[in-house]
Amino acid sequence: MSLLDYDFMQRALIAAFLTGLAAPAVGTYLVQRRLALMGDGVGHVALTGVAVGLLTGWAPVWTAVAVAVAGAIAIELVRAYGRASADVALAMLFYGGIAGGVLLTGLAGSTAATLNTYLFGSITTVSAADLWVVAVLAVVVIVLAVGLAPQLFAVCQDEEFARVTGLPVRVYGVLIAVMAAVTVAVAMRTVGLLLVSALMVVPVATAQQFTRGFRASFVLALVLGVVPSLAGVVFSYHVDVAPGASIVVIALAGFVISWPVGSMVRRHRNRHRPSDDPRVTGEHVTTGTHPHRHDATCGHPAVEHGDHTDYLHDGHLHAAHGQHYDEH
Amino acid sequence: MTESVVATRGLRVDFDERAVLHDVNLHVLEGEVVSLLGANGSGKSTLVRAIVGLVPAAAGEITLFGQPLATFRDWSRIGYVPQRATAAAGVPATVREVVASGRLSRRRLFRPATRADRAAVDHAIELVGLADRASDTVANLSGGQQQRVLIARAAAGEPDLLVLDEPNAGVDRGSQEAFARALRTFVASGRTVLLVLHEMGPLAPLIDRGVMLDGGRIVRDGALPATAGAGVPDHLDDHETGLFG
Repeated sequence: MSLLDYDFMQRALIAAFLTGLAAPAVGTYLVQRRLALMGDGVGHVALTGVAVGLLTGWAPVWTAVAVAVAGAIAIELVRAYGRASADVALAMLFYGGIAGGVLLTGLAGSTAATLNTYLFGSITTVSAADLWVVAVLAVVVIVLAVGLAPQLFAVCQDEEFARVTGLPVRVYGVLIAVMAAVTVAVAMRTVGLLLVSALMVVPVATAQQFTRGFRASFVLALVLGVVPSLAGVVFSYHVDVAPGASIVVIALAGFVISWPVGSMVRRHRNRHRPSDDPRVTGEHVTTGTHPHRHDATCGHPAVEHGDHTDYLHDGHLHAAHGQHYDEH
Repeated sequence: MTESVVATRGLRVDFDERAVLHDVNLHVLEGEVVSLLGANGSGKSTLVRAIVGLVPAAAGEITLFGQPLATFRDWSRIGYVPQRATAAAGVPATVREVVASGRLSRRRLFRPATRADRAAVDHAIELVGLADRASDTVANLSGGQQQRVLIARAAAGEPDLLVLDEPNAGVDRGSQEAFARALRTFVASGRTVLLVLHEMGPLAPLIDRGVMLDGGRIVRDGALPATAGAGVPDHLDDHETGLFG
């Protein structure tokens, strides 16, 4: 009997696939923003959310989403408005999340084993109802991460510049935090709350070994998130370990292998670097055939350049030189 | 009539309840190239950051293109070049990707870049002489080349006003020349430039007016003599305003 004949395995693999896409999609923006540990913090806070679910009998995935979103917004606001003490405030939020989670779980009468399935994932526990929630949330996160890519890229690359282009930077900052929180809740059944951050960061770090640009890093990170997620779930089926551990170990193995390969690729690439544009280094570059004669009345905007005048012609500066024009 | 592009009246900016700009009245008209000069800590960077809305004003008013800053929404008219040591962030990005973010003020949400967007990005990259490096990682470029990427990013939005914060700081000679060339092209098309400079270098002939700040106040505002930079010093050293100043 193949593993795909089990309903629980089908659900676990679908959940792992969606998690493997959503986590690196958000993670790319977090790493670009140099907030790689944010997923970790949100994961800690989400544990309290799970415990609230266990205590009240509400679905833990929803209480986890609610508490994680609240925690993520708090982290983002402390980051945006806070001063030197921001890292201490964040640390306290993380500790509070874990301690609150363990405390409430105890009050609910649940065992440490129950808690473990949320901390490190558990392939047998993805219910059909859970899967729907996971699927909808993951698709929303992925659509936002792809559809708003130009805006999110600008905000994460240079927040001040983004503000001067008129982007509502605070709104996008909160959006990224909320997307991270939702991803944590999506991922808690497969990689678990304590290891979700690894699935956000490690595929991005591995992708960077090979890529030159953001879009390429993003796409490769999604692939490098899906492969270990599926492989880790299959591994946990054969060997009875928490899927979170096997997923993260496989992802890390990928990074370790990629490192030497990536540095070889980069060394090869850097060997032949093109030189600077000759026009900017002051070398003599003539324009192509140039039938037009520039003078004070020709209508092309003119600008003084040392001992002569440049004329702006079709986006280029032209300067008379003997019988021809130079590009300046 | 020439339009007022930037105007501040009675501007005061505080950091931690200490005033770093006092009663600053600055006017920049359409087509002017104005440089803010002064020693480190004189408030010239703070002034441009207040003008583009990154630093709140404690008192006074700022208008951009005749609109009060608080209600100004026409951000595509402004190209800002922040003071940065690097154009890179946590994930690699190509020159083209960074420059393309300069078009965002003209793009709509959830829409791909138009042909005009791509053409403007190509043109801006060519303007700073990096066409051969367009698909390289910005982190692999020299400091001066990265600075040119930031200038191309501002130019890609086809702004009417370019605001540059120390674009020449720590930049090699070749990149300074490249930058001067980009600025000449920009100025030739009749647009306005406000820049902070520590030293003028090859830019001196382009500058119409120098505004000197000292201790958060404007101490001198006027045309630079035709003999580039001979009358007005490139920058003020601290000792000039020291004990015997």
